[in-house]
Amino acid sequence: MSSKIKETVQKLLAENKIKGFLGLREENGHIMPHLFCDPKELDALSLGDWKKAGDTRYPLNQLMIRLTMEYPEETFAVLVRGCDERGLKELFKWKQLNEEKIVPIGMGCPDELAKACECEKPFPDSLIDGPKGGKADSQKVTRIEAMDLDARLQFWKAEFDRCIKCFGCRNICPMCFCNECSLEEDQLVGTGEIPPANPTFHLARAIHMVGRCIDCGLCEEACPADIPLRTLYKKVAEIISKEFGYKTGFSVDEKSPFNIIEVK
Amino acid sequence: MEFKTVLTSCPYCGCGCGLLLEVLDGKLVGTLPSKTSPVNHGKLCVKGWTVHEFVTSPNRLTKPMVRKGDTLQESSWDDALNLAATRLKEIKEKYGSDSIGVLTSAKCTNEENYVLQKFARAAIGTNNIDHCARL
Amino acid sequence: MTNSIEEIEGADCILIIGSNTSIAHPLIATRVSRAKARGAKLIVADPRKIPIILQSDLHLQQNLGTDVALINGLMHIILKKGWQDQVFIDERTENIEALKKVVENYPPEKVSEITGIPVADLEKAAEYYAKAERASILYTMGITQHTTGVDNVKSLANLAMLTGNLGKESTGINPLRGQNNVQGACDMGGLPNVYTGYQAVIDQAVRQKFEEAWGARLPDKIGLTATEMFPAVLDGKMKALIILGENPVVSDADCLHVEKALKAIDFLLVIDIFKTPTSDLAHVVLPGAAFAEKEGTFSNTERRVQLLRKAVEPPGESKPDWQIIQELSSRFGYPMDYASPRAIMEEIAKLTPSYGGITYDRLQGDGLQWPCPNTEHPGTKFLHQGRFTRGKGLFSAIEYKPAAEIADEEYPFQLTTGRVHVHYHTGTMTRNSPSLEREISECFLEMHPEDAVELKVADGDWVVIASRRGAVSSRVKLTDAAGRKTVFMPFHFLESRANILTNPAFDPIAKIPEYKVCAVKIQKMDPSDKSILSSASAH
Repeated sequence: MSSKIKETVQKLLAENKIKGFLGLREENGHIMPHLFCDPKELDALSLGDWKKAGDTRYPLNQLMIRLTMEYPEETFAVLVRGCDERGLKELFKWKQLNEEKIVPIGMGCPDELAKACECEKPFPDSLIDGPKGGKADSQKVTRIEAMDLDARLQFWKAEFDRCIKCFGCRNICPMCFCNECSLEEDQLVGTGEIPPANPTFHLARAIHMVGRCIDCGLCEEACPADIPLRTLYKKVAEIISKEFGYKTGFSVDEKSPFNIIEVK
Repeated sequence: MEFKTVLTSCPYCGCGCGLLLEVLDGKLVGTLPSKTSPVNHGKLCVKGWTVHEFVTSPNRLTKPMVRKGDTLQESSWDDALNLAATRLKEIKEKYGSDSIGVLTSAKCTNEENYVLQKFARAAIGTNNIDHCARL
Repeated sequence: MTNSIEEIEGADCILIIGSNTSIAHPLIATRVSRAKARGAKLIVADPRKIPIILQSDLHLQQNLGTDVALINGLMHIILKKGWQDQVFIDERTENIEALKKVVENYPPEKVSEITGIPVADLEKAAEYYAKAERASILYTMGITQHTTGVDNVKSLANLAMLTGNLGKESTGINPLRGQNNVQGACDMGGLPNVYTGYQAVIDQAVRQKFEEAWGARLPDKIGLTATEMFPAVLDGKMKALIILGENPVVSDADCLHVEKALKAIDFLLVIDIFKTPTSDLAHVVLPGAAFAEKEGTFSNTERRVQLLRKAVEPPGESKPDWQIIQELSSRFGYPMDYASPRAIMEEIAKLTPSYGGITYDRLQGDGLQWPCPNTEHPGTKFLHQGRFTRGKGLFSAIEYKPAAEIADEEYPFQLTTGRVHVHYHTGTMTRNSPSLEREISECFLEMHPEDAVELKVADGDWVVIASRRGAVSSRVKLTDAAGRKTVFMPFHFLESRANILTNPAFDPIAKIPEYKVCAVKIQKMDPSDKSILSSASAH
């Protein structure tokens, strides 16, 4: 547990700069999201490193959206890693969160985690504690690209065949905030079947992650079928970066080419 | 203001997945898979993801009801419980303990099942107790 | 389950039989996929092409109700090839000779004829299963809901013992329990023949222990099962029923019979969280609290006792069932005054050897798997290590018997029933979940396209399906998931109650009805003309 993070939050709460801190709480070996409003509760604060670094991460930004809808006037702090902070930047631009009301409390990811995630930037700008690790290249995308086109299609179709249509990839995604979801459009993806339309269901979601996916990997962790969704979305991000020169979540003011909301 | 997540166990199939219920100011607003549960390690099926929907359904029963002719009408707990206890006692006295049967529930807790089979056996005096294990 | 959920990942061969795993137990399907990714062989034996066959090495599409023949056939091949685990058989089992004698009569050609499975596939399946270092069997109601349910389970036990796949990690015979606390309801003595922890009501010493603990004289006669209670009502022997959180008017085989019984009963008390077709017939309905609104424990399919924690208050005046029951009991004249579910568990632990070491404090982390006889015991990951409960494992010599009701000229189709991925049992919970109801909101009858041609029905057309017990209507969904003349229907839908059709004939020992096979006839219907329903069910 990081004392620096705890002290920072304690100070913010004591000085009434925030109404609460959305982080993780540990109790009897279980870790769960929690809004800390009282500094005394912070003894139960966890950074989500349960058995290994970052293995107990939750979509805190998604919960923050819900919280600020109920309390739009309040200011909250939230625990962020590099990916979560990329998410915050996009959510500000997509008008899902108000930049002036959110205080990011940043932690850097250890090397081991950064490598496992093949993370482009494994630390947030608002770094309070933890390392400032370097960029890790994506070998997972490279490995799949080494296959010829037919083999690649067969690979993905076999992966998607295990899908049980739990919607977990969408439900846990901190960037899936639409009120209406294409995955529930009967014209696009029929209802009642598992696996769902293959490959339409997963490709539809991949396309909708364009300019949204901040490569946090929560989708893949939530997938009961262990489909390598993160690799799929990494490829999508790579295409966007190459074709449109846009890197999701890296800038506060530059907007995704697919974001039609005006930025001040 | 209070926002917390409460760890509990899924009410659907026998897997027993760990769920985190999202509670905002005393209201159930969502569900997350528990990452630390030994069964599901942060994954859920479509039913597990949506448990908050039936719990918060407007169709939930909220009051005891007793039959008046062809219809069921709202009643107080006292009246409903007294009526049930009286009718069961009458039937036990008139026809014997084995004229009463009890179906306990694979959807209720161990403690509730225990208390109900104890009621059947010790209070009513019958082993006519079963549940939907076969269904 | 003899073994634990996580152990499935470590199996070298998995035989899934009568389990639509990815639909009914999705998080167990996860473990199956992981075993596959490690290189395990996956055999799926199911009359329908269920989603998990997409991952299987072999799909054995047996005819409905032919499991004993199939399993005997596999054992025949294993014995002929000498693939049995002789050391395990010699040291840990008895009665192998009787088994050998019976399975001798199940050569592949004969079994192929009964089951409809090609000989080559039977041979491959026997080889995959027998030659695997660790082979695990997963099954559910496709095995048990037959008049030969006990025979089917015993046959699986034979297969596992013959190959030494019991009592060690990543093996076993693993029934996946369909309801979150069906394991616990059985463990807690919610059965007519046993108290908690399967202690027999006819055992005098046991009964005396409970009489002392409960301060009451207890009945010494085994009670009626659920399947026997409804006929007892119609016979006039049973006058009152208490139903806690169940919906037999939709869930029981030949449910029109159940409905008739509940309409005739003197007194019906229902405790539930929703209004159901069963509560509609009650004299008193009491509103219970849902799982999110109370404390307690559930025991999952791997015997893991886990804590339920209260997240929110129950709506309106509803309250936890344990409180309702103890208030009823006190008014009935047998006072109960538990302060909390924790206090109830303390009493359970005292009276139940397998739960002896279970306390709320110890359950806070990952829960505990019974048997857990004392507070130092860590719980039990897998059963039967070193010895079986009865000492030696007993082989049962079992002959194949066909289902009770076979298709004939008048009822030419065989119907089987099951679940869909978004619904659960009678839909009381899932049909009150908008996201789930959106995905599937009406019943369907799965039919082979060639049968549809004969009946002149197209996909989406309405048909009436009738058995000897009643008739229902449904839309048709064309699929070659099952073979010709075999149709499938989910049982979640009140509007098309599949259990009006199902056969209440039950297994003589387990008293489980044959939900998985009955004979039906099907004809096209005009959905605006429901009169055909009543004429079809007149018999």
